[in-house]
Amino acid sequence: MVPLAALLVAALLLVTGCTSDKGEPSTTGQSQTSGTIAAAKSLRIEVRSSAQGPERAFNAKAAAKKATPNMERFLRRYLTVAFLDPGQQKTGWRDLLVLFDGSVKAAAKRDLDSLSLGSGAAEVKSVQPDSAKASVLFLYRGSRPAGATVKLNFEGSAEAEKGSGPVRLQSVFQMLSTPQGWRIAAYQSRTGEAG
Amino acid sequence: MRRPLAVVVAVALAAGVAVAAVAASNYRPFAASAGQAVVVQRAHAGAAAPSFNKRITFLVIGSDSGAPKFGRGGSAERGRADSIHLVVVDPVRKQGIVLGFPRDSYVPIAGHGTAKITGAMAFGGPPLLIHTMERLTGIHIDYFVLTSFDGLSDMVSRVGGVQVNVDMNISDHAAGANLRRGPQRLGGAAALAYARARKSVPGGDFTRSRHQAQILLGGLATFQRQTKQDPARVMKWLAIMSDEVKTNLPVGELLRLALMARGFPPSRLRNVVVPGAAGNAGGASVVRLSSSAYPLFARIRAGRYG
Repeated sequence: MVPLAALLVAALLLVTGCTSDKGEPSTTGQSQTSGTIAAAKSLRIEVRSSAQGPERAFNAKAAAKKATPNMERFLRRYLTVAFLDPGQQKTGWRDLLVLFDGSVKAAAKRDLDSLSLGSGAAEVKSVQPDSAKASVLFLYRGSRPAGATVKLNFEGSAEAEKGSGPVRLQSVFQMLSTPQGWRIAAYQSRTGEAG
Repeated sequence: MRRPLAVVVAVALAAGVAVAAVAASNYRPFAASAGQAVVVQRAHAGAAAPSFNKRITFLVIGSDSGAPKFGRGGSAERGRADSIHLVVVDPVRKQGIVLGFPRDSYVPIAGHGTAKITGAMAFGGPPLLIHTMERLTGIHIDYFVLTSFDGLSDMVSRVGGVQVNVDMNISDHAAGANLRRGPQRLGGAAALAYARARKSVPGGDFTRSRHQAQILLGGLATFQRQTKQDPARVMKWLAIMSDEVKTNLPVGELLRLALMARGFPPSRLRNVVVPGAAGNAGGASVVRLSSSAYPLFARIRAGRYG
């Protein structure tokens, strides 16, 4: 059974890794457990999107539709490394910090408690996602999205040594499209409180 | 004796079931505490905008061309620079200066002798105006931002107007300005009129340059107020800017700067016009910069904006 389970986990790791964005680091590092992977698989993000572009000859609806899947992948990656994989703490949240633009990375490192499970991750065994909703406004330059504002709300249930409790995130991310994919260039973020 | 035996057996069985249940529940991780709600995550809040570790200087130009709505043909880049401001921003100390130059400032222009600074852009586009300004002030310019009459009025209209403290009553037929003194929200047409009024205002070109900077600073305050209410307005402003402004700023840097600007107090940007006096050169009225202009440039180079 053990070799079979290991094979299954390895296969899941491989599949998740292979479906990550080109040029993006995989979020499924060695620290992830099968529970984490299952939680990530059950994560459903409800995304509402719109787009802003040139005043003339711009189809906002089509532009939003085109840009949404990539953003959804980014947000899935974010929530997975920030909340569903408590083991990220042991890596210094490496896979989370890579999602921030260089101009705010130092600040994000200081604000991990308001952007993720943060220091509480040490007590957490697992997190199950309950709800994840995002509202996105894309900024188009030419035929490509160049920036976006994302309002992200996430609620989950954490299992810890002492018992279980809710985890929450309420964030506004100002995003920048880079050759490496979306990056967070500014944020206002709260955790741990109901909206 | 039978009855007590039955009781003992029943108790033993019940105890066995209970022990088994406890054992089973202990076997499943966390099940013992499943009903116990605890605070797993305490409340935290954080916010950050892009950090810049050096000062940034923009040349903000208003062209007299490229504005069909105002009957101004040609391209904005090859027009004369009607308004010229150096905006020097120190993001670390959160201070800076908006330094206005009268358009008739009589200065050396490479390849064109000494001429009115307004002509530098017509001679060689934004690059020659940047070169002229850098040579004049010794201040390195990172980026230019260029708009036209149409661009300014459309931009202001599309963001819903800008809040400006109009510092005098103005009735200027040539500029289309009819404004009462006091704080007010200027729409696109009124903002442009305030920026253009020169003939009827005391101080002429100097006062006009100060008014133009007021509109810039009013725009910054409006941007901050709107994006505080709705952070997604950042993208709307940038989309409008993309339509109405030409710049050599890469889009990523433009976005980072806009996000940084949300936290930059407009009151920490001094509105200063380069000192000078009206003069004459070859029969044309010009502005000759006063000798005190050069120490001002030196102070700015040294990071002193007060």
